[in-house]
Amino acid sequence: MGPELIVLGILGAALILYALLGGADFGAGIWEFNTAFQPGDDERELIQRAVGPVWEANHVWLLFALVLGHTAFPLAYQAAAQALWLPLLLALAGIVFRGVGFVFRAYAVDSPFLRSVWGAVFALASTAAPFFFGAALGAVASGELAFTEAGAYAGSYLTGWIQPLGIFTAFFAVGVCSYLAAVYFTREAANLGNEALVATWRRRALATGAWMGILAAVGLVFLALEAPELWSGLAAGWLLIAASAVSGGASLWALARSRFTAASLAAAGAVVAVMAGWMLAQYPYLLPPAIEVETAKGPEPVLWGAVIAASLGAALLLPALALLFRLFKAPPGVD
Amino acid sequence: MLAAIQTLVADGGLPAPTQTDANLLWARLQMAFTLGVHIVFACLGVGLPVLMLAAEGLGLRRGDPLWTALARRWAKSFAVLFAVGAVSGTVLAFELGLLWPRFMGTFGAVIGLPFTLEGFAFFLEAIFAGIYLYGWDKLSPRAHWWSGVPIALSGAASAWFVVTSNAWMNTPQGFAVDASGTVVDADPIAAMMNAATWPQTTHMLVAAYMVSGFLVAGFYAARLLRRPDSRYDRRALALGLALGGAASLLQPAVGHWAGHVVAATQPAKLAAREGQFHTERRAPLRLGGLPDEERMETPWAIELPGGLSFLAHNDFDAEVQGLEEFPRSDWPPVAIVHVAFQLMVAIGMALLALSLVAGWSWWRRGALPAGRWFLVAVVASAPASALALEAGWVVTEVGRQPWIVQGVMRTEDAVTDAPGLLAVLCVTVAIYAVLVLGCLSVLRILARQPLPEDA
Ligand code: HDD
Ligand code: HEM
Ligand code: HEM
Repeated sequence: MGPELIVLGILGAALILYALLGGADFGAGIWEFNTAFQPGDDERELIQRAVGPVWEANHVWLLFALVLGHTAFPLAYQAAAQALWLPLLLALAGIVFRGVGFVFRAYAVDSPFLRSVWGAVFALASTAAPFFFGAALGAVASGELAFTEAGAYAGSYLTGWIQPLGIFTAFFAVGVCSYLAAVYFTREAANLGNEALVATWRRRALATGAWMGILAAVGLVFLALEAPELWSGLAAGWLLIAASAVSGGASLWALARSRFTAASLAAAGAVVAVMAGWMLAQYPYLLPPAIEVETAKGPEPVLWGAVIAASLGAALLLPALALLFRLFKAPPGVD
Repeated sequence: MLAAIQTLVADGGLPAPTQTDANLLWARLQMAFTLGVHIVFACLGVGLPVLMLAAEGLGLRRGDPLWTALARRWAKSFAVLFAVGAVSGTVLAFELGLLWPRFMGTFGAVIGLPFTLEGFAFFLEAIFAGIYLYGWDKLSPRAHWWSGVPIALSGAASAWFVVTSNAWMNTPQGFAVDASGTVVDADPIAAMMNAATWPQTTHMLVAAYMVSGFLVAGFYAARLLRRPDSRYDRRALALGLALGGAASLLQPAVGHWAGHVVAATQPAKLAAREGQFHTERRAPLRLGGLPDEERMETPWAIELPGGLSFLAHNDFDAEVQGLEEFPRSDWPPVAIVHVAFQLMVAIGMALLALSLVAGWSWWRRGALPAGRWFLVAVVASAPASALALEAGWVVTEVGRQPWIVQGVMRTEDAVTDAPGLLAVLCVTVAIYAVLVLGCLSVLRILARQPLPEDA
């Protein structure tokens, strides 16, 4: 196995972790739309407690994937940066305002006006970021972007990224984020022992979950029609599709039975399966139809360097992450 | 004078905005603007944790709640500033690829290692920032103090790693380019440990502590001007000044080291920085002056004979290459680089003097100078240190032009072909204005929170 495959694996894992952790933080912001019109401060307090300690760390998975991407597959990075500059910039604006919106709202302690302004910014930006990331991923998956093998882009800089599949994935990404957040929050509320909040979030999670199931089914049909290449790759990975469906169903069942940790794991599992399925279906292409792993990879010593750096880094990182999540995410009584 | 100003404008290094060159102009302005904002927040991200830890540690050791209160308040400001630093850094991480795709496409693999390591350092910083900021009630006081240590360490490490990649742009090594322009034989470790790495990273870290220290000290000096006998403000000022002052004692020496490496590796940058148009022995050190590229001279400077030869090559009679050795198309904008350099050094010297005065008074009398003039000087040191920081980056970056990678790739060959960069720039400026204003308004709210009793 060449080092490029190891790096690709790490890259895929980082993207999936970003979706699971960073995605849920976006979801928190999306739900903020809803809580903005509700009376109690309870709910906002819950979001604050759940997201506050971890969102910066969760965000770094994206940076990590970016950096690894341009180190290991510079040609693909160059091509994607050209074709997708507009949706990426829009997602970036979302990330910027999500971050500062959240922090400014938290610390503008005695100014209700500023708090509501930054709260609204937080909500809007948290929706925009996954939307445009979803659109960009969908545009890549559609295989319709006019890449050349040399890493150039020959399509339209302004409208090339707007693909039917991309529009679908944009909404799908927003839905995934809200679902993850709703399920995780049900668990957080249960940890806090706040029954009213548990009931609210459970209702929301169930509704979003059912809705996401329908959206996913429609998506498969859509994929078969819009991206036949990807579809034939995916058809081979039917196991993953099945796993995703089962996992999604299981998360709903666990929610219904008030098993919230199990529900969180199952919801995350469904997302992992979808993303892994997409990555496998697309392999060996990084950017279909022209750029493959083989053509885009950097020089061998650099790839090994990235693998070594990532392993050493992980040795420092994983214990630190474990500490962070133990402190703030373990149910009471565990620490 | 008018002519000089005209050359200054014409020499801006900025090509006339014809359709083909426009992208280069807007991309450069975009890069310079976003970096210029990020760097101030980044410096605070490196320096504030040190101050926070010092205050919290003093509180622990002396059992004095006033120090602990200070640490808690600084932690809140740190949370806000760190978030702005992180989002503005994310903008940069995207921008390097979006604005300079061919730079990243060609060299991304070569300089990817420090960026990857920076990513890890930043990861650790973010994790422990979460623990530290939200862990006051979850950890024992001692464990809480320790949870802040990795923030300070990884902040410095992350600054160190990014600056190695900038040093590489100045003195590239650790790769070879084949006939088709593709990089072969990349050696990321050699690239990271290039000639400019140690002086540039050291100078940058010392600058970060200076800027953090003086910004904090300046803020509390301004408050003391209004309420002269707040114990709380006095302590905060002393702590900030201790950090900034200590760093400013080192900075001129470290800067001289950086200058030495520039003399050895980037002679055109050295010549532009010093306004040296002609090659000569016993080259003078010029204080002030405004280089005139047309007439190839630097009028209105005070010249110390042999000074430049000595500073650059340790020998009053050494030969210093002038800009005449290089084709015009390889000149950086001379006036900008020279003026920025003069500004940085002048501020560095003034801050050194301020620190010496303060240190002397502390040593002889056990207190900072009492006069109002002293507080005013400390207030002024805050913007001055930030100005020196920006000026230093102008020397480095503008002085390297027309190269994005010294001697290897020209900036104009790296820029993107995407349309609409001017619009993107305008939107970016607007967004950053909102960020900075929002940040200041929140910091103001935090600063107005009532102090614990007996402050
Ligand atoms: C508080 C900020 C500050 C202060 C007081 C100084 N510097 Fe500085 N200088 C920087 C902040 C800075 C910087 C912003 O951090 C730079 C830009 C790139 C770098 O690595 O450091 C820099 C760059 C820089 C360079 C260019 C390095 C290159 O292009 O590779 C030289 C030659 C000096 N400095 C020299 C000095 C000298 C002789 C000083 C005497 C007092 C001085 N600096 C004070
Ligand atoms: C690791 C740090 C940095 C990297 C990798 C970096 C990279 C770049 C790149 C790629 C460009 C555009 C190409 C060029 O003009 O050469 C640029 C330009 C510029 N940067 Fe930096 N930069 C760094 C730090 C900074 C900082 C902190 C400042 C802060 C003030 C700064 C100021 C500028 C300026 C003024 C320009 C425009 C130069 C010109 O076009 O004349 N840079 N930098
Ligand atoms: C504690 C200090 C700092 C913090 C918290 C910080 C924050 C960040 C973050 C979050 C990123 C994007 C993350 C990444 O790409 O890994 C970033 C990127 C960047 N920062 Fe900073 N930064 C710091 C110090 C500095 C310094 C000292 C400089 C310049 C001299 C600098 C220049 C840059 C540049 C050029 C990038 C883009 C490079 C890339 O693609 O990774 N940063 N910063």
